[in-house]
Amino acid sequence: MRFFLFIFTQTLRNICHSWGVQLMTLLTVTLSVLIFSFFYLIYTNMLQAGEKIGEELRLTVYLDAQLSPAGQEEFIKKVNSFGKVEKIIFITPEQAFQRLTKQLGSDSDVLADLSPAFLPYSAEIYPHKDLRNLSRIKEFSDYLTNLPGTQKVQYGQAWVERFGHFIKLLRFIVIISGTLLILTTMFMVSYTLRLTLYARQDELKVLRYLGATNSYIKGPVLIEGFALGLFGSGLGLAALFFLFQWIKHHFSSAGFLGLFELRFLPMSDSAIILLGSIMLCTLGSLLSIRRLLKK
Amino acid sequence: MLETLNESLPPHDHPGLVEIVKVTKIYPPDVVALKNVSLRAEKGELIFLTGPSGAGKTTLLKLLCRQEIPTKGLIEIDGNDLNTLSDNAIQKLRQRIGVAYQDFKLLPRLSVFQNIAMPMEVQFKSLKEIRHRVTELLAKLGLSAKLNKPAGKLSRGEQQRIAIARAAANSPLLLLADEPTGNLDAGTTGLVMDLFRELNDNGSTIIIATHDESIYQGTNHRKFELQQGELF
Repeated sequence: MRFFLFIFTQTLRNICHSWGVQLMTLLTVTLSVLIFSFFYLIYTNMLQAGEKIGEELRLTVYLDAQLSPAGQEEFIKKVNSFGKVEKIIFITPEQAFQRLTKQLGSDSDVLADLSPAFLPYSAEIYPHKDLRNLSRIKEFSDYLTNLPGTQKVQYGQAWVERFGHFIKLLRFIVIISGTLLILTTMFMVSYTLRLTLYARQDELKVLRYLGATNSYIKGPVLIEGFALGLFGSGLGLAALFFLFQWIKHHFSSAGFLGLFELRFLPMSDSAIILLGSIMLCTLGSLLSIRRLLKK
Repeated sequence: MLETLNESLPPHDHPGLVEIVKVTKIYPPDVVALKNVSLRAEKGELIFLTGPSGAGKTTLLKLLCRQEIPTKGLIEIDGNDLNTLSDNAIQKLRQRIGVAYQDFKLLPRLSVFQNIAMPMEVQFKSLKEIRHRVTELLAKLGLSAKLNKPAGKLSRGEQQRIAIARAAANSPLLLLADEPTGNLDAGTTGLVMDLFRELNDNGSTIIIATHDESIYQGTNHRKFELQQGELF
């Protein structure tokens, strides 16, 4: 008990003596955590948006002619042989015409003199979750194109591909900002604490002469690192939360962001970021004191 | 080599608290600070080391607290060979040795209380115990009013007494004092010597390096003289 009391007293004393440098390090850790978790938050929300969009993803196969019931059976069998699908709906030109009229709304009079026969027979295929990633959808589309009786396959390729690339870019940014977080936190904490330790070299020397053990000297430095990680990442996550609330309040119903509900990081992810930062800062402080004690 | 050194120990029933056997210290390139010095101090003994400046008194004290390592020879404190002790064991031993350095080694930005409390904090003593001991020592050395003053703001004489108080804080097994009265007047020298005598009466072994004749004249304690690194 007394050991911890002394270590905490010593830590407070150290922080008081170098509060300026400590504050700068705290802000650096906060900023690093904020940048990383901001991109991570966008990434998780985009994934969620992707899933939502994926749920509504369907492939439209335009057919040469109407399929007989046996032909439809055969078509379903061939489609299922590639991968699982949720459902397949066969659409007649009349049904497609009705849908088009509905979609055009007040402009539907442009169709007034047209016969539904200009529209082809088609089949709408709703792929299973397993098929809803960019490369699988592409493969599936190619497979459907090569089926006998298929004229054309459409699924909003350009949009899906662009969205897929965007997710890839986000993943890259998350990895880069994560790496930067690790490097910045480790180096900043390690160098700051080393600087404060150099400034306290006389004190450490006297402590050694008075019989202070390594754990007595290391303890406060490790706690400083721990505290920097805890408060730095805590402040970073708190700042992210307020930023998130602001964005949600001002933009959640606007354009693309209105398509899905914005969500903050799950508790488990926030806890991992918090623990990771604490670990990195403690490790940084351990590195700084180990080098100094080796001298 | 150790066997040879041990053979040269004077015949005693029990080991002394401090055993220095044929110790030589040479600073690079070839400055001989101590030459074949042997000395034995019993538990509870008070010894004076005298000699002119540069005779090797400070070097000998530095060797005893493992601030320096001998070039040759054996040093044992309470049965521990300083050459073979691990880092951690050295630190544990240092906790039992109080040193009043000639250059004080105080931390100027810390208060008098904090400076004297340091060796007790290192041993995780209770705050109550620390407060009591610091107050007691300051009263004995006539510095009660300086408790919360930064050590750096005190006069040389006051700083010297703070350094002595810090060395005495843990009532150490061995107390090494390097020129402890160098900056003191007769009155405060008396206070310091009273404190040393009290510690000595309570069992501490004390080695005082000094060239102040007034503190050892008329006493029946052993006195050794160092001259150009040799002990007489």
